Amino acid sequence: MPVYAEDWRGVLADPALCKIYADGVEKIDERIGSFLSFNAADSESAIGGKGSLDGIPVAVKDNIAVKGRPLTCGSKILENLIAPYTATAVERLQAAGASVVGKTNLDEFGMGSSTEHSALGKTVNPWDFDRVPGGSSGGSAAAVAAGLVPLALGSDTGGSVRQPASFCGIYGLKPTYGTVSRYGLTAYASSLEVIGAMSADIDLLQKAFTVMSAGKDERDQSSVDSDPPGSGEKRIKVLDIPEGVLDSAVAEAYADAAKALSEAGYTVESFALPSYDLVVPAYYTIATAEASANLARFNGIRYGYAPDYAENPVELMKLARHEGFGDEVKLRILLGTYVLRSGFQDQYYGRAQKVRTLIRKQLADLFQSADLLLMPVFPTQAFLYGDDGMDDYRQRVADVFTCLANLAGLPALSVPTGLSKGLPTGIQLMAPAFAEERLFAAARSLSKIYMPQLAPCALNPRSFS
Amino acid sequence: MNTEKYEVFIGLEIHIHLKTESKMFCSCRARYGDDPNTNVCPVCLGYPGTLPQVNKKAMELGYLVARALGCRLSMRTGFARKNYFYPDMPKNYQISQFENPVGVEGLMKADLGESGTRDIRIHDVHLEEDAGKMIHAGDVTLLDFNRAGYPLLEIVTEPDLKSGEETEAFLRDFQRLVRYLGVSDGNMDEGSMKCDANISINLRGKGLGTKVEIKNMNSPRFVRLAMNYEAERQAGVLDSGGELVQETRLWNENRDITETMRRKEAADDYRYFPEPDIPPFEPDEAFLSRVEQRMVELPLAKKRRLTAEYDITPEQAEFIHDEAGTAALFEEAVSLGAKARTIAAWLSSDIRKVLNRQGIALTESPLNAARLAELIGLIDEGLISGKIAKNVLDEVFARNEDPKKIVEDEGWSQITDPKILTEAIRVVFASHPDVVEAVRNGEAKQRGWLMGQIMKATDGKASPDIAGRILDEELKG
Amino acid sequence: MARAQDEWSLTAELARLKLDETEALRLADEAEKMRELFQTMSRADVEGLEPTTHALVRENRIREDDVSGFDHVGDLLDASPETEDEFFLIPNVL
Repeated sequence: MPVYAEDWRGVLADPALCKIYADGVEKIDERIGSFLSFNAADSESAIGGKGSLDGIPVAVKDNIAVKGRPLTCGSKILENLIAPYTATAVERLQAAGASVVGKTNLDEFGMGSSTEHSALGKTVNPWDFDRVPGGSSGGSAAAVAAGLVPLALGSDTGGSVRQPASFCGIYGLKPTYGTVSRYGLTAYASSLEVIGAMSADIDLLQKAFTVMSAGKDERDQSSVDSDPPGSGEKRIKVLDIPEGVLDSAVAEAYADAAKALSEAGYTVESFALPSYDLVVPAYYTIATAEASANLARFNGIRYGYAPDYAENPVELMKLARHEGFGDEVKLRILLGTYVLRSGFQDQYYGRAQKVRTLIRKQLADLFQSADLLLMPVFPTQAFLYGDDGMDDYRQRVADVFTCLANLAGLPALSVPTGLSKGLPTGIQLMAPAFAEERLFAAARSLSKIYMPQLAPCALNPRSFS
Repeated sequence: MNTEKYEVFIGLEIHIHLKTESKMFCSCRARYGDDPNTNVCPVCLGYPGTLPQVNKKAMELGYLVARALGCRLSMRTGFARKNYFYPDMPKNYQISQFENPVGVEGLMKADLGESGTRDIRIHDVHLEEDAGKMIHAGDVTLLDFNRAGYPLLEIVTEPDLKSGEETEAFLRDFQRLVRYLGVSDGNMDEGSMKCDANISINLRGKGLGTKVEIKNMNSPRFVRLAMNYEAERQAGVLDSGGELVQETRLWNENRDITETMRRKEAADDYRYFPEPDIPPFEPDEAFLSRVEQRMVELPLAKKRRLTAEYDITPEQAEFIHDEAGTAALFEEAVSLGAKARTIAAWLSSDIRKVLNRQGIALTESPLNAARLAELIGLIDEGLISGKIAKNVLDEVFARNEDPKKIVEDEGWSQITDPKILTEAIRVVFASHPDVVEAVRNGEAKQRGWLMGQIMKATDGKASPDIAGRILDEELKG
Repeated sequence: MARAQDEWSLTAELARLKLDETEALRLADEAEKMRELFQTMSRADVEGLEPTTHALVRENRIREDDVSGFDHVGDLLDASPETEDEFFLIPNVL
């Protein structure tokens, strides 16, 4: 049974309903673990106006600042940090009537594809509690799939909105780079990432995007005014995938989706990406390089975790970072520092930026004769926790389909395509810059075949009164 | 040091604080002297999620300096991250410029004293942000981030300076230049200007030697002393068959020597890369014309023009051009009709003394061109004597009123009426007939004494010219 | 391998990461694997291509030089692990 935005209007405004809601969240989230902090009645978050998102509760990934609420980034180093300001994207949602109810779990600083790398809590997939929700915005995806909120914000650096959305059976939008302000998003890889949104309701998702992308932000000079190219001619190109790359369920869903789009009036052709093998190396080189600088600010001096004792400032910084960062974060900082070192920079970072240009050119060429690209989101469905799951290296390499859009700065949407073996499957659509409208239109076509649904455990706002 | 044998190469890295209202990348106030950690916000404290927002005025002033130094201006300038950890640097990277600074390859014409005028090559001019301040207090260090994010402009010269004296003269010219442009106070003791130097020596004709960087010089004079000390030290090392090492040394102003701070290490690697948070900036016509509007006649050009155009001495020109405000006042006073040489004389002696005594700048003082011209006019018209004029000047400063009004209010105008003067002279004659007699008998010296008595009798207000003439007539009988 | 190990420790030092011995070995191992993956870019033909440094650049972005202070400066000081009066505090550099 789908849940629509309309069902949520009025819940937060009524203290009695709000109490029922909060109790319901507490009960379900005991098992899911999607929120790191939750407070539906916090007045700070209810500031706001009236608008297209009136009364909509929204969950925000805990690497996005909401004033007065924690901003942990899933890391021990920021475990006690309270945000002193609010992200622009969140301010815009609030101004349109939405209320922040809680902050969601994530892979530490957004580095991971399973939310296993959170230092502060475990989030499970609402469809199967032995499986990961995906990541890094795993908490946000799980919260939506478990019906705890109709809308959640994530951040997408290499697929961190689309992949967990797909693992949890909901829509996940990565907007065109710069259309949504990054002000207030804790930086991991600045030139790649953008705040995105997740929902099971495509109309609500589009409204949220429209609100967040309403004009460039003075506080983010890399933000831009959207400049839509028009609705296009319904020509889709489908990425050829070599045998054996995709799990059978994913491969099947992928083929079915192409067929469904064709039946919905899209012309469908296949394509190959010549620099396919370069995507992951270029992406991780750039992402880790930027991360190594972005995470340098965490040093135990102005805020955040500090060791009990340090003899001198250098030791203070080293101990704060040693004790405050997890393994995956340390690894990426190490790699990023390495690829920027003099003597190595040309060979790694410099080369990756040129490869990035190459990939962008190839995509631009493809869009000369296509209005949308169809790709998988991830080679597998939600995988199992622990040793039976997927090791970190394989997870990174599996980002290939999603991080392509980040390298090119293009919008992409993961679309749920029903269940296979009791777990959600999904596909990904990519569009030229600012053509989010085409993504929504194609998703609506598919929704007639694959009606998105929430997990069986989901909270239903219609049951509150 | 044997200057026949060795050649000295000195290059400078000069940092100036730009005069803006707000910081380089956030809207916090950029001001000295406020309580610690009051001009801070999430951006300049490096909070997660914050982003830099480039200050337009800082950008304009950066281009202005590059323009004034004859640099090739970047038509697509960009920022870069310079990565290193330091407790006073909130992000642990400094946003600076690397590949596309606002300007490159400039020339600054400078008057280097005994060496004459020479072009010093400018390597580049780039914008960046300052760090906070560390105050060491026993076993702890206190951090104040008010200065963090303050806009800085770094000017890097080629190693074209040859001695401590040249370097000091260059720095003074440079200070004058940035003050003329209004981009910075350029005070080394207050910290709005900093200068590090690299210096090497080598056998004449052999090119650059091993570069040593010198820091911690807090005035142009210390830069001169440090450069001369360092050149001697390096020559000493070479003369005794030793080898110089690439290192950073600090000037110790208490002992007048340089001391090793640290050797260059392999771990010094700033890992510069383009700042992804700031898109490249392409100055358009409107921007460049705003920069052009801020452009002024530069100090050296002004000095030459003043010397050529007006009848003043080189020393007077030197003093008048030192501050743009003084030069402007000078030229305005000339246009109001006063004689250039007289204005120059007043400016470089009496006015200068009052200013020094009061510790204020001419432009902030009650004296302006109109008042100075008026004062000189009063003397020229014979209404006051030069001596009274000095009192009037003091009163202009004390009361902030026009010279004419002061002279009127005080009744300081000279007595020029021949009738009054004749009467006064006759009274003096009546009181001292013996002296009058002596003068008439050829004791010319006593004439001065009589003049003194006339002045006394008129409270010093008798016009010396007219009184003198009448005195001579009366003496003839 | 020992040389690679040294490179990673020097890199860790640059990044102010303190790694204990087992951690250093494990991370260096994982990092080597990623470095080898990065190395595959050497096969790419990028002759004549400009680097992409910014995802999307459309126009000059610049802020007027206006002052607007932050209202909750006290909160910022309170967030620090160590303060003294109005200062942030760290051990001395000695």
